[in-house]
Amino acid sequence: MQQLVSGLLRNRKAVIGAVILLLIIVAAFAAPLLSQYSPTARVGRPHQPPSLEHWLGTTRVGRDVFTQLIYGARTSLAVGFGAGLMITLIGTMLGIIAGYKGGVIDEVINFFTNMVLVVPNLPLLLVLAAFIGQASPLVIAVILGLTSWAWGVRVTRAETLSIRQKDFIKSAEMLGEPSWRIMAFEIFPNLISIVGINFIGSVIFAVITEATLEFLGLGDPNTVSWGIMLYNAQNASALSVGAWWDLLSPCIALALLGLSLALINFAIDEIANPRLRTGGRLGRWAALVQAGEGRL
Amino acid sequence: MSFLLRRLAFYLAAFIAAATINFFLPRVMPGDPIQMMFASAGSELSLENLNALKLTFGFIEAPLWQQYLTYLQSVFTGDLGVSIKYFPLPVTELLARALVWTVGLMGLATILSFTCGTLLGALAAWRRGTRLDTIISMSAIFSSSVPAVVISLVMLFIFGYQLGWFPSGYAADPMLDPAFSAQYIGSVIRHGTLPMLTLFIVLVGGFAVTMRNNMINLLGEDYIVMGRAKGLGEGRVMLWYAARNALLPTFSALAIAIGTVLGGSLVTEVVFNYPGLGNVLYQAILARDYPVIQGQLLIMTGAMLVSNFIVDLSYVLLDPRLRKA
Amino acid sequence: MSVPVLSVKNLSIDYIGDETDFRAVDDVSFDIGPGEFFGLAGESGCGKSTIAFAISRLHRPPALIRSGEILLQGRNVLDLDTEQLRKFRWSQVAMVFQSAMNSLNPVLTIETQFYDVLHTHLGMNRAQARERAAELLKLVDISVDRLKSYPHQCSGGMRQRIVIAICLALNPKLLIMDEPTTALDVVVQREILQRIDTLRGELGFSVLFITHDLGLMVQVCDRIGVMLEGKLVEVNAAHDIYTAPQHDYTRKLWASMPRLHGEQIRQGAQ
Repeated sequence: MQQLVSGLLRNRKAVIGAVILLLIIVAAFAAPLLSQYSPTARVGRPHQPPSLEHWLGTTRVGRDVFTQLIYGARTSLAVGFGAGLMITLIGTMLGIIAGYKGGVIDEVINFFTNMVLVVPNLPLLLVLAAFIGQASPLVIAVILGLTSWAWGVRVTRAETLSIRQKDFIKSAEMLGEPSWRIMAFEIFPNLISIVGINFIGSVIFAVITEATLEFLGLGDPNTVSWGIMLYNAQNASALSVGAWWDLLSPCIALALLGLSLALINFAIDEIANPRLRTGGRLGRWAALVQAGEGRL
Repeated sequence: MSFLLRRLAFYLAAFIAAATINFFLPRVMPGDPIQMMFASAGSELSLENLNALKLTFGFIEAPLWQQYLTYLQSVFTGDLGVSIKYFPLPVTELLARALVWTVGLMGLATILSFTCGTLLGALAAWRRGTRLDTIISMSAIFSSSVPAVVISLVMLFIFGYQLGWFPSGYAADPMLDPAFSAQYIGSVIRHGTLPMLTLFIVLVGGFAVTMRNNMINLLGEDYIVMGRAKGLGEGRVMLWYAARNALLPTFSALAIAIGTVLGGSLVTEVVFNYPGLGNVLYQAILARDYPVIQGQLLIMTGAMLVSNFIVDLSYVLLDPRLRKA
Repeated sequence: MSVPVLSVKNLSIDYIGDETDFRAVDDVSFDIGPGEFFGLAGESGCGKSTIAFAISRLHRPPALIRSGEILLQGRNVLDLDTEQLRKFRWSQVAMVFQSAMNSLNPVLTIETQFYDVLHTHLGMNRAQARERAAELLKLVDISVDRLKSYPHQCSGGMRQRIVIAICLALNPKLLIMDEPTTALDVVVQREILQRIDTLRGELGFSVLFITHDLGLMVQVCDRIGVMLEGKLVEVNAAHDIYTAPQHDYTRKLWASMPRLHGEQIRQGAQ
């Protein structure tokens, strides 16, 4: 774990990603300090372009876009991290149990995992959300958490299968350690980077999917979130009336959040698998060749 | 052969699972399921038509398991009910019309992005640590982490509205009659370019990252070093010794990615007002046209399973170790 | 000794690290004469494979050749440009790699893997390549219908003989064998080395044989170099290495393995 953190601090991609993510988090927490407006109040004339008063302009109904954006970040982050945590928790537990226990338990878990993997996710969520009616961010987070764990099970199980063969597991078994202890304290710590990748990947997925469901009109139009902003802007034909700020602001916010998380994920992958690493020694190598201090 | 038979059996089970979700969902929701399913019908449906619809969805005076079997029977005889919004158009017909556009869009975008993505990923892996690798990797991370809805809106804004290069809706000029004429086909291409390009951007990065990682993991293999030691051209070793082998795991990732492709095409179609499944579904959601919403899950699952089966078949062709002598 | 086929002079190779470098080969010099069977021994990680890779310039970053010369029949391999290097590889130096199971491309037929070499270097078409490949397979006693097979359809020993046949395709001056037999059982191992020895007599190439198994090496090599932590600590005739090892480390190597290798195999077989 410590190794992972110190590795991340030395990885340029991770640092850039973390800085962007941190800025979004700070803006979300400090929203009342950053804006004098309320995100749901009519504070100006409709579709005003960006100005000193309204940094990112106003919406069709005269709400402040910037204020909506920073308050909406709270929703995106909460849904993303909440659903991401749930997805990772379920996926990791099932994956470790299936991989370690083997036998019938493994077959059952594996069968259901493969089943969930071939039922297309977004269409399934659309049906679920359509029956629920107008889904609040909390409901969206919960159904995401309950339906999207399959990928995590697959990778965790595969990794557990290879760890199970290692000597330290064998010796723990000989010593008569209970299997829950082996799974929690011997196997899990060795999966930390896979779990990390799964977690960040799930957060990205949850953020994207929440916005998509809301954009498609399945969210609760009274919430303040980036997806609802997109939905309202699209319904107000923001692009065809030239109010690009109304639509592009949440677009750029979503892109930045997705990008920052993806950079962190890519970095974890590089740290977990040294072969993927490109910085450090390869940079030094190239410099030495340039300087004529050696060749291949 | 038994490998493929087992896959087929599994796909059948998965399809039944999707139908089962459809069956139970209205029944576990609070309130009266019949009321819920057909509320939007209002008074347009005659009693006779409503009863036919109830029968299709298994709402009969019988124990639950008989209701379930009745529904499964409807599904497997291709009866998905009728659309309430477009009454009396059968759901299958409505979706089949839309499916043509979606499959065209999706299929072409998948093939193009998979080809380009794997080639770019292979190139990045082969030249890893160079500037080329950095550029490809960074663009790939960007393309795979930005939501489809964002990419399609931005594309629409730039190329549809600002530059006005491409039309912002429909699959073809609505003034033209569908025909095998140069004019009509040209119009289809012009209307399809932006949605296609969007889907391409959404998908290409994921394929590139997967391929790059798979190939880097292979570069130390003896057969690749031997390929180089044999004095073959660099292109030959990169493509036929390294990339060709790294393609196998990348290809199985494609099967899972098809879900993303479907999701991406749904969103893209809505933004570009493209008359595919996504758009039909969007209209159905707005109108709470439940038979259509349920029907699309089955059609989408079917599409996913067919794509998976094609991937399975191609995998057998790609990997000589799976072929029987 | 006449003009050497291979002459390595003061070769040093580093593996570049994030902060510090690891010297894998440190100022190594040796020669291999025409038709000579030369062995390079040492524990794993002592740098012997690194030397083998450098001779065909197969290294990738972060390996870096810091200094020295590698002369093949008087020509410095390190000075070749990309195209010269491509032509040089396999036509002058061919190589058998560590893992017998893994050095053939799993997705190409055996025939294509011959064709690749024969087409690229000699411009042969499919039919000519097939004919030549059949001759080469005959040299290693493998049936011609194997050409249509994929690697996974052949046993480990068979694959290694196929690799050797591919190695001989262009009549190279030097054949490098990097732990060629570690994945094979002892009987197959011995059979392959005997075959190499016979072919060497017929075709006249030199051999650089790399292994950690000093006992096996003494039985087949003319001369042997012993490596320790990147340095070449002793080079001598095989017989002398066996009977009168000069360096402490060579003696330790002997002490660490059961003596009378050949007889041990025979006892084990009974």
